[in-house]
Amino acid sequence: MIVGLVDYGVGNLHSLVKALELGGARVRVETNPRLALAADALVLPGVGAFGPAATRLAAAASELRDALRAGFPALGICLGMQLLFEGSEESPGEGLGIFPGQVRRLRTRRVPHMGWNWVSARPDPLFAHRPLLSAYYANSYIAVPEEPGDVVATSDYDGVSFPAAVRRARTWGVQFHPEKSGLAGLDVIRAFLAQVRR
Amino acid sequence: MLQKRVIVCLDVRDGRVVKGVSFQGLRDVGDPVELAERYQDEGADEIVFLDISASAEGRGTLLDVVRRTAERLFIPLTVGGGIGGIEDIEAALRSGADKVSINTAAVKHPELLTQASQRFGAQAIVASIDARLERRQVEVAMRADASAQQAAAPDDGRTPSLPWFRVFTHGGATATELDAIAWAEQCATLGAGEILITSIDQDGRRDGYDLELTGRIVEAVKVPVIASGGAGRAQHLVDAFLLAGADAALAAGMFHDGTTTVREVKRVLAAAGIPVRLDLPEIPA
Repeated sequence: MIVGLVDYGVGNLHSLVKALELGGARVRVETNPRLALAADALVLPGVGAFGPAATRLAAAASELRDALRAGFPALGICLGMQLLFEGSEESPGEGLGIFPGQVRRLRTRRVPHMGWNWVSARPDPLFAHRPLLSAYYANSYIAVPEEPGDVVATSDYDGVSFPAAVRRARTWGVQFHPEKSGLAGLDVIRAFLAQVRR
Repeated sequence: MLQKRVIVCLDVRDGRVVKGVSFQGLRDVGDPVELAERYQDEGADEIVFLDISASAEGRGTLLDVVRRTAERLFIPLTVGGGIGGIEDIEAALRSGADKVSINTAAVKHPELLTQASQRFGAQAIVASIDARLERRQVEVAMRADASAQQAAAPDDGRTPSLPWFRVFTHGGATATELDAIAWAEQCATLGAGEILITSIDQDGRRDGYDLELTGRIVEAVKVPVIASGGAGRAQHLVDAFLLAGADAALAAGMFHDGTTTVREVKRVLAAAGIPVRLDLPEIPA
């Protein structure tokens, strides 16, 4: 199985590549998002800012949107999850809009939301391998979905409850970093890859 | 609820983890990749590599260590020590670090924090501050001021003085005129996503963090604060969280020499009612 991993040009993809490989995938890192669709699944990683990343996706946005809506398996991580929504307070630029809703800045006493946080999940194939109790976050923004049914897991920070994971058909988004959440995080990635194989 | 983090720091020199022993030089502690992985298995929430290499070759070696570590570490990795500019930050992140900590370079070029956080995101930029408690002389004219009332009485005929936390750079060797509390605030405003505050007075003493310094920075900034310098046993981390309000606590020596383990410290923290990650990794099959 081949995973197309989109490289927005900043940050560290090493751990994510390794985590996907440990799950049995071959990873093709693509700076051109269109080429990332020439794979069995798409992964949008979680480092960078919304604006530049949205710009990187813009040229292929309609193809990505069509593919995901037609059931092409995809996983967005942190910023990658936010790019699956319509837009963000962080910067101008259009998300893919797979999930209706906007991305908003966290209005808590301390930002970024940094560290391990408890996750409360409802049954979903993503958590089939083992329950994810705690996951690692590093985010200043959260998704605000219009459709509550899209939310499969939540976390709480300083009185704010926000989506830890969203799902619509074969598109998943996780606000935490599974590749930084220890072995339980690796199991989330394995569970996603298991869904790709189905 | 967000959990409090236990961070293990490894001093790396020329590709090896080292430890200073009673000012008598450095002792080899082991391979950084293996040690980082061992602490991950023990339940560490994050790993910090602090590069104390004296040479450019040593620094190059660190990036190779980071690359090899990133393949085996599935918790966050911060790299600090000798980060001078955007190129160093990019090299560290591209090699597999999740965050970089910036100390001397931020004091020299504060705009670096802004540039770096705009480019890589605030979550990747840690402002590292080394501070020491000192006294400074107070202008006599200020003595009517409420704060000066607390000044030490000049019973020996000297000018009265007030305590303050002075920022040092270059690994504690160079004094600056910066006040640590004000500098921490400025770092956060400039774009740092976290403050790592190390008490030079407490560092290596193993009798607890500087709770006054840590607590005042926690109050002053709106980004997470990591307490550092002085951890000798689990209770010191309990104090950093409960008394100073730190978001994370960094320790080194007490873990390296086997005084205690991360797992044991987390048990003590949990027993004290502090939220910590206890679903510790299992040994992989």
